[in-house]
Amino acid sequence: MELIVALGLIVFKVALLIVMLLLLPLPLTWLERKIAGHMQQRMGPMRVGWHGLLQPVADGIKLLTKEDHIPAEADRFLFKLAPILALAPPFVVFVAIPFGETVSVLGNEISLYVSNMNVALLFVFAVIGLEVYGVIFGGWAANSKYAVLGSLRTCAQMISYEIPMGFAVIGVVMLAQSMSLLDIVRAQADVWNIVYQPVGFFVFFVAGLAEAQRIPFDLAEAEGDLGAGFHTEYSGIRFAFFMVSEYVIMLLVSVLSVILFFGGWNGVLIPLPPLLWFVLKVAFFVYVFMWFRFTFPRYRYDQLMAIGWKVLLPLSMANIIITGIVFS
Amino acid sequence: MSRAWDRTGTWIGWAFFSDLSNALALTLGYMFSRTVTMQYPDKEKWLPYSRYRGHHFLKRDEEGEIKCVACELCARICPCDCIEVVPYEDEKGNRRPAKFEIDTARCLFCGLCEDACPADAIALGQQYEFSSFSSRDLVIGRDDLLAKPGKAATGGGVVAARLDTKKNVLVESSEPQGYNWWRNIRRT
Repeated sequence: MELIVALGLIVFKVALLIVMLLLLPLPLTWLERKIAGHMQQRMGPMRVGWHGLLQPVADGIKLLTKEDHIPAEADRFLFKLAPILALAPPFVVFVAIPFGETVSVLGNEISLYVSNMNVALLFVFAVIGLEVYGVIFGGWAANSKYAVLGSLRTCAQMISYEIPMGFAVIGVVMLAQSMSLLDIVRAQADVWNIVYQPVGFFVFFVAGLAEAQRIPFDLAEAEGDLGAGFHTEYSGIRFAFFMVSEYVIMLLVSVLSVILFFGGWNGVLIPLPPLLWFVLKVAFFVYVFMWFRFTFPRYRYDQLMAIGWKVLLPLSMANIIITGIVFS
Repeated sequence: MSRAWDRTGTWIGWAFFSDLSNALALTLGYMFSRTVTMQYPDKEKWLPYSRYRGHHFLKRDEEGEIKCVACELCARICPCDCIEVVPYEDEKGNRRPAKFEIDTARCLFCGLCEDACPADAIALGQQYEFSSFSSRDLVIGRDDLLAKPGKAATGGGVVAARLDTKKNVLVESSEPQGYNWWRNIRRT
């Protein structure tokens, strides 16, 4: 009996998580278009619903009813597989992410995470690295020069930015003496990691921007010069898969920034519910992502590689050494 | 000395991302500034200035008689040859147009007909919404031209309006002036 209840709870949590992550891109696309509009002194979507609130729903219906086109020369199996490969890893990662300690529902204490792994951080980086397969397959299978160029760029970019990103969080692991995200947040109860690890956060965030393929590092899809990069040839719901995956990764990088460097659900000054603190911080980082997108131009490809290998990698290694010397 | 100092300052600024943070501050400022969008045709409509050259209209004199004397000067001066006038003699013995057609599909709205007219009978008014699915419908006859709206009395403002898909964009405002759209332009 005990086992069945525990199992049911996990299934329920996973289902809730999947539904939430599938639905979140809807308000996020609306928010992104609104922010884009207002930063350019426009209004953004205004015609569907109140201030265009139903615009994502209309877009979703449009994508669902579009022709699902597969190019004649494409590798049909890989072409169909790629969107799923791109979509699955960001969802899997959220299994390891805690959203808070516990909440009491009807007198029962329910934990706000699916699993408390002791190697959660490693799991996150391992799984998120798999996302690159979807992008490579998608670009290769479409058999189009823009898609291949885009996927080659993504491939190189993702691989070179995983390394500084991984190194940047080692400082956090050294401070918390644990790789469990829950323990990392608990270790920040008094002082947030951003105080001890500003360089680590800088490297992590810049690498995160590149991981999420957002401006200024969105060379993979570079609308201006590549059509749309690896998903040039995709249409309809398969295209929507790629978009959802992109938004979930953006959310993931925001969540990781909050958990690793900004104290997770620990609040300051104002006593709010921990979950609300967490959501507020994540929302701020999501806003920062969008803010960056509509402020900065795109880097050139060689600049991107130079930043990754010549700036971020040495910085993150220096960060590890200095953290080791100071806190040992 | 000062140049070297400036250059050092620039480098220190770059090291702390002063250029990037300036850009971010600018976009944030724009985000909370007023939008310049005119919500046409859903909510607002632009009233043209009185000097605006929109759709042509024919004027009547005090007795309600058409002012045009069918001298065909407008047809002569028209650079795209889109005006066709056929004169006739009415009961009082005046020369009047039996037929006065403007092909607005060909018209370039230069206003030369207005300048050439010796009787001050034709002018370009304020109407600018007259698109059509058929270019045949864009040939406007004499009686339609007499009914077209004249020049804007006030104008140069944005007023509340409503889109009526059957008829037009209807102005829904008691205030004729509207607000000056240019106040929304941020000049920094």
